[in-house]
Amino acid sequence: MSEQTNSTDQSLSFDELPDAPPKRKIKLSWPGKIGIAIVLFWSVIVVIGPTISPYHEADILDEELFIVPGSDEIYPETEFQPPSKIVYLGSDYIGRDLLSRILYGARTTIGISVLATLLAYLIGVTAGIAASVGSRYLDMGLSRVNDALLSIPSIMFALVLIAALNSPGIFWLILITGFIYAASVFRIARSLGQEVMVSDFVEAAKVRGEGLWWIITREILPNIAMPLATDFGLRFVWVILFISSLSFLGLGVQPPMSDWGSMVKENLPGLVLGSYAPLMPAFAIASLTISVNMIVDDLSAATGGKLAKRMIS
Amino acid sequence: MVWRALLARLGISLVTLWVVSVLIFIGTNLLPGDVAQIILGQMATPENTAVLREKLGLDKHPVEQYLVWLSNVAMGDLGISKAGLGAGLGTPIVEMLGPRIDNTAMLTVLVGVIAIPISVALGLLAAMHPGTRLDRTITFSTLNIISIPDFLIATILVLVFAVSLGWLPSIVYLRGDESGWVLMKTIAMPLMTLVILCSSQIIRMTRATVLNVMSSPYVEMAILKGVPRRRIILRHALFNAIGPIVNVIALNLAWLVGGVVVVEQIFSYPGLAKLMIEAVQMRDMPLVQACAMIFCAVYVVLIFIADMATILSNPRLRHPK
Amino acid sequence: MKDIQNYQQMYRDGRLSRREFLSAMGALGISAAAAGTLLTSASALASSPNRGGSVIFASNLHGPDDTLDPILGTSTIDYTRANTMYNGLIQVGDDMSLHPELAEEWDVNDDATQYTFKIRKGVAFHGGGELTAKDVVFSMNRHIASGSPSSIKSFFASVIEWRALDKYTVKLNLNSPDADMPIKLTQPQAKIVKANTMNWWEAGTGPYRMDSFQAGVKSTHSRNDNYWRDTGQWLDGIEITAITDPNARLNALLAGSVDMVTLINAKTIGRIEESGNKVLSIPSGLYGGLCCLKNTAPGSDDDFVQGLRYIQDRERIVRKFLRGQGTVGNDHPINVAYGGDHCSELPQIAYDPDKAKYHLNKSGINEAEAYVAPVVGFIEDAMLLMQANLKKIGFNLKIKKVPTDGYWGAVWMKEPLNVVTWNMRPTANSMMAIQFAPNGNWNDTFWNDDRMGTLLKSSLAETDAAKRHEMHCEMQKLVSTKSGMVIPAHTNILDAHNPKIHGFSNCPLGQFGGNGWAEFIWKDA
Repeated sequence: MSEQTNSTDQSLSFDELPDAPPKRKIKLSWPGKIGIAIVLFWSVIVVIGPTISPYHEADILDEELFIVPGSDEIYPETEFQPPSKIVYLGSDYIGRDLLSRILYGARTTIGISVLATLLAYLIGVTAGIAASVGSRYLDMGLSRVNDALLSIPSIMFALVLIAALNSPGIFWLILITGFIYAASVFRIARSLGQEVMVSDFVEAAKVRGEGLWWIITREILPNIAMPLATDFGLRFVWVILFISSLSFLGLGVQPPMSDWGSMVKENLPGLVLGSYAPLMPAFAIASLTISVNMIVDDLSAATGGKLAKRMIS
Repeated sequence: MVWRALLARLGISLVTLWVVSVLIFIGTNLLPGDVAQIILGQMATPENTAVLREKLGLDKHPVEQYLVWLSNVAMGDLGISKAGLGAGLGTPIVEMLGPRIDNTAMLTVLVGVIAIPISVALGLLAAMHPGTRLDRTITFSTLNIISIPDFLIATILVLVFAVSLGWLPSIVYLRGDESGWVLMKTIAMPLMTLVILCSSQIIRMTRATVLNVMSSPYVEMAILKGVPRRRIILRHALFNAIGPIVNVIALNLAWLVGGVVVVEQIFSYPGLAKLMIEAVQMRDMPLVQACAMIFCAVYVVLIFIADMATILSNPRLRHPK
Repeated sequence: MKDIQNYQQMYRDGRLSRREFLSAMGALGISAAAAGTLLTSASALASSPNRGGSVIFASNLHGPDDTLDPILGTSTIDYTRANTMYNGLIQVGDDMSLHPELAEEWDVNDDATQYTFKIRKGVAFHGGGELTAKDVVFSMNRHIASGSPSSIKSFFASVIEWRALDKYTVKLNLNSPDADMPIKLTQPQAKIVKANTMNWWEAGTGPYRMDSFQAGVKSTHSRNDNYWRDTGQWLDGIEITAITDPNARLNALLAGSVDMVTLINAKTIGRIEESGNKVLSIPSGLYGGLCCLKNTAPGSDDDFVQGLRYIQDRERIVRKFLRGQGTVGNDHPINVAYGGDHCSELPQIAYDPDKAKYHLNKSGINEAEAYVAPVVGFIEDAMLLMQANLKKIGFNLKIKKVPTDGYWGAVWMKEPLNVVTWNMRPTANSMMAIQFAPNGNWNDTFWNDDRMGTLLKSSLAETDAAKRHEMHCEMQKLVSTKSGMVIPAHTNILDAHNPKIHGFSNCPLGQFGGNGWAEFIWKDA
């Protein structure tokens, strides 16, 4: 489920974007406000997570910790334990604290996804703007290569690259993901850029004799920033899910680092045993992705759809 | 003018396919290890590796290898997989792909037939009554589905329908002679999972696009003139939203063909995506190349069809600036 | 009871027919009904065999490189198919004793350089035609042909020639003594196929013939009505497939979609039994461990390896990760499953972080990277536990998780620290030799010890039981202190099946009792 909606985004933005820069205030709905609160919450966790975590993410808890006073059980169960005073959210499949792993995992999961999405934007927007302001041949060349990249299922693409690099570390994971998602960003950036390039105010600027750099920084970038921000949110969500899928196929981060996707995967056997262990990290993923989506909804309502918006409220 | 636009799109599609073939060839040659050595494994000696390299044409210049491969592919010869090669034969890839393509096509068509009408209808319904409880239910549940990992959805469905209730088989075990209800029951689990996943995407996009069109000045004008909302949506908004919706559907279908690795893995469904994963793991380059070419070709064709639909449904786009 | 087991073995070998077996049991005073249950395995007491029905077997790995060619076999699914479709010259019993199969009998000369095999008469191939010496020579020559892709080619490095003396006699000449040759012939790769054909549909003599085959999907098999021995062949049909994802495999059994699943996680045993399905747990010498290459840092430092040995919480690994379905390892491969050759006198090493810290400090190493693939059920968990325990004593072990695919070619015997698994071999000597013979092909810690080499040879020739045991003890001590092996645990062979299926053997050499279940099991109607 990744770049399925790319070309739609393009068409959407086509409709969304008026010829002059929109100057609307972003009005937040209730879901949007909750979304922002949750995103802020996770951002704080990214910073302080490891500090407030009860255990280290790698700690396999001692069996003694789980001894119930008065019981003669010397080696109590440590795996897939329900929430208790020892493990607030329960324990995982080899007896690690789920809460600690979620707290540590926030940094890994969100960090990787944000960096990969930023990288995708860096490559995609640069190439997209270059295609929209550059020569026809540059545009054609970039667009065809981009179409080709888009046509390869992204998960397959990642699989081949990761196999080629023999299970590299986080750095390469970010690089590969960023590169794959750059293709869909390129499409949007290019079409948004082209729209601006043919607008009256850019024509005017050209007539005034402004340079290309001036047009890019003063006209194009400000005008495409808002729709791109909307898209950034969606892309970020897809990257999180994409990396989870890679984890599912055994190609995620290296142990003992925890990321939420591989936590769901590694604890999946718990479901059939009646443990909620895989649902905890899944809930963390969902809380973040849903929040971002809710914010995105508000953003896109602010950039377009004025009447639709009025009819809803 | 329409014809010229279509021809241009066709040309673009062909060029894209060619670029894809180059990228795939370079990409698969990046994979570490000498294919001949991987095939021979622990038993590789310099002599037998050399013999096998020659047999596989690996001793030629990469450009020559590419040209040979491309002309073969163009003529429908996708090459020989290393499967069975130890016995001196190898297996023609076309033979290996046959049943996998059938399986993938069957699932894709079924998912499409079920998911497309339902989700377009639900998306329209939500767009017709924005802000109502119905709209909010649809929006919220689709939002949830697209926000959690697909393998979790699949596993939960298995636990409910196969393990707890015992209604459906948890994996797809095709005997090859199923039809009708038996077939539907056999593939019900992946079918259900994929319908849920695809529908969520299509519903959200349908709703968003229709609402978007609703905010355009001419619809705004119609609303101010007092034309009933239902009439606006069905007469104007839907027609103008066809382009983006068809696009989403095309992308979803392409995803069903090549991107459903996780779902095929969980349900042990013998489709193309699973074959490609196995091929990557075995370093079976000709097979990886063949699968990748199929995925890309399907994508290019579907996008071409979607673009045609867009051009034909939207006069504005028939004359690009 | 010993008698019964002997008869059971004779029956499994085809030396007794079912009727003969039942009458022998009658002579021992066992009722016909009870005798029926003893037909295939002492573990099958609940049900009497009945003909009919079919099973679906789900293995763990498969793909487009699934092979029907026995010499190429590398995975459980390949071995299972080989045992279903073909026979070997010699087979191995549950107690590791050797028994005739397609070879009615065999002789060996004094220095173990010449073998003579008498081939069974009247054995028919699936595609027609009688098995003769020619077919045996053809099958065996495939392993030694130049450029042969055989996965056990190295087993036959000493072979000069296989020669047909007459229609039913085959002579094997070796250029160096090899007393283990009969054991090597029990491998699933050493099955006999029809000469000069690559048509696997017709090339076997085994209990079931093949009806359809799709690599990476499944194969279907039906009873061979012309089978040369009477072992039951209770099932009408067998379907062999694989489900790669372990959760999906378990769910498939729980949902009743398949009848047999291989390689289950010990933690799920409770859930499987609760659902009414049966777990087949066979104590075995199968183990998972960590190879520290002795020819390179950090494994070249004896203190480093010793430190890693002391940091293994073996008891917890067996208790928690294996749920008691295994035995603690003592850093050498020969556990109790090898019977008399296991050195029980050797003290068991225990978890001792202080000693571990002492040795690691002495080595001056405080950081290392280990390559880990899920090559055997518990190994990933055990490595994570080691990593966590090392962290407590200030040692930073990095783990690089890699997929199993390509692991044996790209990582094993290459990276300084890597995990490994070895199946149990029929004898302690063959196990030690394959892994620790100086300069051996699969000496995977690159530990070349002359004394070890001498002991391996002399113990093979030693006839005095006590002296032999002493030699084995010395070898086990050498491996557990001097080599680069760290072996925290041995695991039972764990499989699960539908409760309606009975008759599995207890052979510890492979999944579901050595992968050779097809002709023996039956399913309640």
